[in-house]
Amino acid sequence: MSTNYGGYMGKVALVDLATGRISEYPWTDEERRLFIGGKTMAAKIISDHLSEIVSPLDPSNLLVVTTGPLTGTGAPSSSRFNISTISPLTGILTSSNCGGNFGYYLKKAGYDALIITGRSETPVWLQIHNDTFRLHPADDMWGMLTGHVQEHLDEKLAEGANGRKVKNGKIVIGPAGENLVRYASVVSNERLAGRGGVGAVMGSKNLKAVTVSGNKMVQAKKPEQMLKLNQKWFKYLHGHPLTGDQMPRLGTAGLVSAMQFNGQLSTKNYKYGQYEDYEKVNGETLAEKYNIVNKGCLTCPIKCARTVEVNGKAVKGPELETLGLLGGGILNNDIELIFKWNFELDELGMDTISAANTLSYAMEANEQGLWDNGLEFGRTETISQLWDDIAHRRGVGNELAEGSRWLSEKYGGKDFAVHAKGMELAAYEPRRAVGLGLGYATSNRGGCHLNGGYMVIMEGLGLAMDAQTPHAKADGTVMFQDLMECISATGQCLFTSYAFFPFFLLKYPQAWYTKAVNKILPMAGPVMRIINKYPEIACIHLPVIFNQSKAMELATGMNMKFGTYIKAGKRGYVLERLINTKLGITAADDKLPKRFTDTPQVEGDDSTKVPLETMKKVYYDARGFDQNGLPKEKILKKLKLDNLAVAKMPVRQPLWEGPAAAEKKEACADGNH
Amino acid sequence: MAYKITDNCIGCTICAKNCPVGAITGTLREQHAIDGGLCIECGVCGKVCPKGAVEDPSGVPCSKVTKEQWKKPIIDKDACAGCSVCVENCPKDCLEIEDPKFHGDIHTVAQLMFHKEDACIGCMICSKVCPIGAITF
Repeated sequence: MSTNYGGYMGKVALVDLATGRISEYPWTDEERRLFIGGKTMAAKIISDHLSEIVSPLDPSNLLVVTTGPLTGTGAPSSSRFNISTISPLTGILTSSNCGGNFGYYLKKAGYDALIITGRSETPVWLQIHNDTFRLHPADDMWGMLTGHVQEHLDEKLAEGANGRKVKNGKIVIGPAGENLVRYASVVSNERLAGRGGVGAVMGSKNLKAVTVSGNKMVQAKKPEQMLKLNQKWFKYLHGHPLTGDQMPRLGTAGLVSAMQFNGQLSTKNYKYGQYEDYEKVNGETLAEKYNIVNKGCLTCPIKCARTVEVNGKAVKGPELETLGLLGGGILNNDIELIFKWNFELDELGMDTISAANTLSYAMEANEQGLWDNGLEFGRTETISQLWDDIAHRRGVGNELAEGSRWLSEKYGGKDFAVHAKGMELAAYEPRRAVGLGLGYATSNRGGCHLNGGYMVIMEGLGLAMDAQTPHAKADGTVMFQDLMECISATGQCLFTSYAFFPFFLLKYPQAWYTKAVNKILPMAGPVMRIINKYPEIACIHLPVIFNQSKAMELATGMNMKFGTYIKAGKRGYVLERLINTKLGITAADDKLPKRFTDTPQVEGDDSTKVPLETMKKVYYDARGFDQNGLPKEKILKKLKLDNLAVAKMPVRQPLWEGPAAAEKKEACADGNH
Repeated sequence: MAYKITDNCIGCTICAKNCPVGAITGTLREQHAIDGGLCIECGVCGKVCPKGAVEDPSGVPCSKVTKEQWKKPIIDKDACAGCSVCVENCPKDCLEIEDPKFHGDIHTVAQLMFHKEDACIGCMICSKVCPIGAITF
């Protein structure tokens, strides 16, 4: 099915691993206009089949790999691709974004998306070259680490091309995905679609890897104007203090120090917001002592990735989340150990955030006498072995592989099992950035800072509005959730949105105008509400700071202004919510552990709790949801979601399986014997 | 779209030996053919063919260009952001992002690899894919 829009390749492939059948999935220009690409497109595809999906690890689940229309057009940081599925970690929709080169090459093969369903009887890998799809046995690769299997696949492809190196993109899983660890990731080069257990879903399909190559080029609708915009945009990002200096110089790790000063750095399983040894595990130490070179994903001028040495080899360095959670989070001040663990987790194919948080939960459960597991804060010597045990589901690792929600159901300690909807939180402590707390609680994929709107950038990590006030947090969260949804959908990196904040506000934090902006922001809720309710009124391109909507217009030929861009993001966000509500999610699930809502971070100072219920009320109103968190008919109609199959389907039983379900299954199996 | 080999082909195999993606097949002294599914339109076949037996995607016959005359990319180092798109797309792997000039250097840019300068076939793919037009020939 071809397309009249530029930027897209016009085809979506559907692969059924049970039968080996390959077909073209119907996807129209109207759907392209409404659902753009990336996570929004994937949500639409999954929503159309939601009633057929039996459970996350059942063959009926879909693994949907999508690209965005800007991927391959030359727009900055646009090589990102998305993997969505129903998550074994949360039982609801998850979307995981990755900076590897798979999406770029998928478009070279002529496809905008790849849908994988069914389960192969035996382990396989899928080779795609343009329209040729081949399934090969993967018995020899089963068990291989993610780096090794990628090298092995390059050799296999070269074998099939008379020894010539074949340029290709890959997605692979490691032992964690094979063994259905609930937070297993999918790896592409050194980058990961880390969150939500997409690797376990791939493993449940017996699919070890996909390689893709091709000789097609992405055509923008207006290539000359696109080139000019890109030149301007690259220059702007280069000159911006966040995207041109802080991010390339310190990486995401640069935020560790700022979080420490703000009391936002998760410490000892989020009990505290500051870690006394933070200087040993911060971005400055990483940059000054260890970073070999800053690297970027393909097409990225920001280049925030780190390179460090582990066992004499230059490997990807840790991000902020990993430094925070495997540093202060478990009271470890040895940064070299974090490099090693980060590498090991990538090689095993496991999400560092969920793995770290599950570990810190287990340490606290042990400390409180709930679960005798031998794990203690500050004791690090057994941790490398523990990752291997989790990935291979051995001993205590077998239980840790289920994630902190599952463990807290079994052993107790729900108040300090730091997850939202089953997904472990990032390294930001929300009691000193309450807007982010609301974001974590309402995020569609569970405890995610990015999907949650990342309000913390205005609560001390960029601008410095009052981090404790609930004012304007709900409307700000809605606006940024929608904005980031659309940036992801187009195939771009969310870090391009850092440049949304004019450089002078960030460069001169003490200037009178910056202070004035910080003071005014808590009062800006009603203004943001107007955009949230009526985004279409912003029928302009925002000059200089926001090039995304213009890029979409030039690349695709769609009529896309700032307002329509935000509206497309809103459509995606509400669609994801709609899917989740059909899987049983209501306002009662938009919650945080009591550690954040009932216990102040600073003893005696009640403002250092997350006033979640207060903010939620405003949030639902701003979103057009009822107070039970369900999208109202009016908003569905406005976003053209009211006629989708998912809007009409009844609410299903939750798909997440806790320890009780496992016990029940075991009992049934024993009964059968 | 892809390059094509015409009846003028004498089967000398030079094009097949030079094709960076192995898209050309054929036996000695017989007409060769280009696989449109592999051809990346680098045009090296047209530049090396002694008989002018290669047509470009728009049907224009190519003429032989001696290796000494193949142009090399000129990278505008001030504009280059080191985004790696040229490196990823170079069919001969002769581009790279330079090493940091000092510890903490954050402005590393693309360059033609010193020891692989001869490998460059002057295909100009790097120039076509550069998002900001920082590569000229």
